Amino acid sequence: MLRRLLFALSVTALLPAVPALAEDKQPISQKTCTQLAAEYKQLPFTNILPLDEGPIAIGGKVKPLTIGFSQTAFNHPWRISMLESLQAEACRHSNIKLVVLDGNVDVAKQSNDVRDLMARGVDAVLLSPVESAALVPAARAVMGSGIPLIVMDRDVPTDKTLFIGQSNVTMAEQVAERMAKDLGGKGDIVVITGLKGSSPAVDRDKGMKNVLAKYPGIKVLAVGDGQWIREPAVPIMEDFLTAHPHIDAVFSHAEESSWGAQLAIARAKRCGDKIRQYTFDGSNAGFKAVKAGTFSADGNYTPFIADIGLRAALYKLMGKDIAGQHAYDMPGQRLLLPDSPTVVPENADQWIGRGWGTFEPTPDPCK
Amino acid sequence: MSLSPSQFRPGLASLANTWRRVGVLAALILLVIAASFLSDRFLTLPNLLNVLRQVAIVGILAIGMTFVILTRGIDLSVGSILGISVVLYAGFLQDHGMAVAIPLGLAAAMLAGLVNGIGVAFAGIPPFIMTLGMLSFARGLAFIYTGGTPIPILNESFYDLGNDYLLGVPIPSLILLALLAVSAVVLSLTAFGRSLYAIGSNEEAARLSGVPVKLYTTLVYVISGAVSGLAGLVYASQLSIGTPIAGQGYELDAIAAVVVGGTSLFGGRGSVAGTFLGTLIIGVLANILNLTGVDPFVQQLFKGALIVVAVYIMSRSDR
Repeated sequence: MLRRLLFALSVTALLPAVPALAEDKQPISQKTCTQLAAEYKQLPFTNILPLDEGPIAIGGKVKPLTIGFSQTAFNHPWRISMLESLQAEACRHSNIKLVVLDGNVDVAKQSNDVRDLMARGVDAVLLSPVESAALVPAARAVMGSGIPLIVMDRDVPTDKTLFIGQSNVTMAEQVAERMAKDLGGKGDIVVITGLKGSSPAVDRDKGMKNVLAKYPGIKVLAVGDGQWIREPAVPIMEDFLTAHPHIDAVFSHAEESSWGAQLAIARAKRCGDKIRQYTFDGSNAGFKAVKAGTFSADGNYTPFIADIGLRAALYKLMGKDIAGQHAYDMPGQRLLLPDSPTVVPENADQWIGRGWGTFEPTPDPCK
Repeated sequence: MSLSPSQFRPGLASLANTWRRVGVLAALILLVIAASFLSDRFLTLPNLLNVLRQVAIVGILAIGMTFVILTRGIDLSVGSILGISVVLYAGFLQDHGMAVAIPLGLAAAMLAGLVNGIGVAFAGIPPFIMTLGMLSFARGLAFIYTGGTPIPILNESFYDLGNDYLLGVPIPSLILLALLAVSAVVLSLTAFGRSLYAIGSNEEAARLSGVPVKLYTTLVYVISGAVSGLAGLVYASQLSIGTPIAGQGYELDAIAAVVVGGTSLFGGRGSVAGTFLGTLIIGVLANILNLTGVDPFVQQLFKGALIVVAVYIMSRSDR
């Protein structure tokens, strides 16, 4: 009773934000279902756990379904694109309502958010954790209540219905292999990591080191913390350029940091050195920069996986088998997504338009 | 008790201020000597100019912060105000050009500062709380305005401000130096500036001696807001992107520069020259750690230790 009352109250409070019509804009992404339907056609993984358009019937009955999504944060367009793939799938089924919460890059808040979703009585929880270990108690609470828990992007080391993610390790191996090939197996590189200690940064570093172990001719001159963004990468790269008269390549964990490095190269008047840039993120702007020759390779880490997450939750609710799931070295089941090919000048044209983000690349300061 | 602003030149405190400034300068010189031994590339003109440009954004914020801290206040919202100005510059540059975008971004930053000032001076909300609220509010506005997606700045003539040189010096550094000069004059030679020391030392005494405390306190937050907008201008131009996360955490870097520069967090003592030296100490430290290839994890230890040691020495020198 109390739960009902609280739910009714919170719904009333949120009323202006909840779309009343299909043509209303979805929260956060500010896109309509019509726009999202067009995007759906471009999503890379709609063939995984396919689901027809139309209302979802469970046990032969169509009733309203509420799906909760607890996202790390919406402070980065990658995270918003992930939400768009979820909204695009939800728009295809008229009886699905989404409740989306912003974790604000705070494990404590996200842990509370997951419990709030349960208190709202959602039919399934989708979770993209800030930090793996810290979300364990919240994940246990969801599993304990008997509703499906689909974990996406970063894993949680406890039982779950399904984990869906790409491997940052193998993706970084692909990019590093390409770098080793371009450099002919020898050269001096500098590394600009993502936020030090965050799991994608740790995994991308691991992938790079796995490959560099095979190429003793490639020397890492220095490592800096680019924090995924542009601003810190500029002074770091300026200082690296000052300290090292010869640099062959920059291995950066994020496109934004690579742009910062490129600005530093231009300012130091070292464009003539032809320093190669290897990067990650998989945005359309990044792909265009690969085509233009600013970046030599872009690790294609797609955010468009939340539609699979929603379909997996619905499959579970409908009692259908999740094809391709398997046990792995953590509790629960995993659905391993195929590695998207690293985007390099040869295949950039095929990928422009299929990455995330609609913004244009920064003009290359070296051109 | 009557104490006019012009009379407020207590001998002992100004002696302490001089000592503070000399101490900070000595620390900077020692650091520069150590750095030049650690890397033969440190004492080259391009590197020194790099450092001067690298510290420009935080240095500008720290000067505004000095005004606030002198009145015994604090401004936690400078990073967020920088953020809102950056996204406005980026957003308005595309369609309306620099003549609209620059005044608009600066005006928005000053407006945010004005709200802070009214909240602190007239509504009596503690500065820590008022500006903490603004930190969250302005950041939220930046996210709403951009929809979370960075706005690229494609207007290339706008880049010069952040990246070009004038007389061989990077323009952002010149902006910092000009702001430093103006601020030093305002703080030491005008009645307004001297009154800020009086407010920070003893607000009640300042009020009784005729200082318009509420007006000046409000003005200090408007200055801090305006300066944050100016730092935002440098940021947007240097990085050519209007990202809603611009300036996150900069409030702490600015406070660190002020404190290392010898300004007391309890108000009434300190100077913008000290803040500038504090900014340089932190900037040179980051530079030499990068030049010598120190692990980023370890770099944080140095920065943390520096702040604590600097403030410890400063507090000893007062005794």
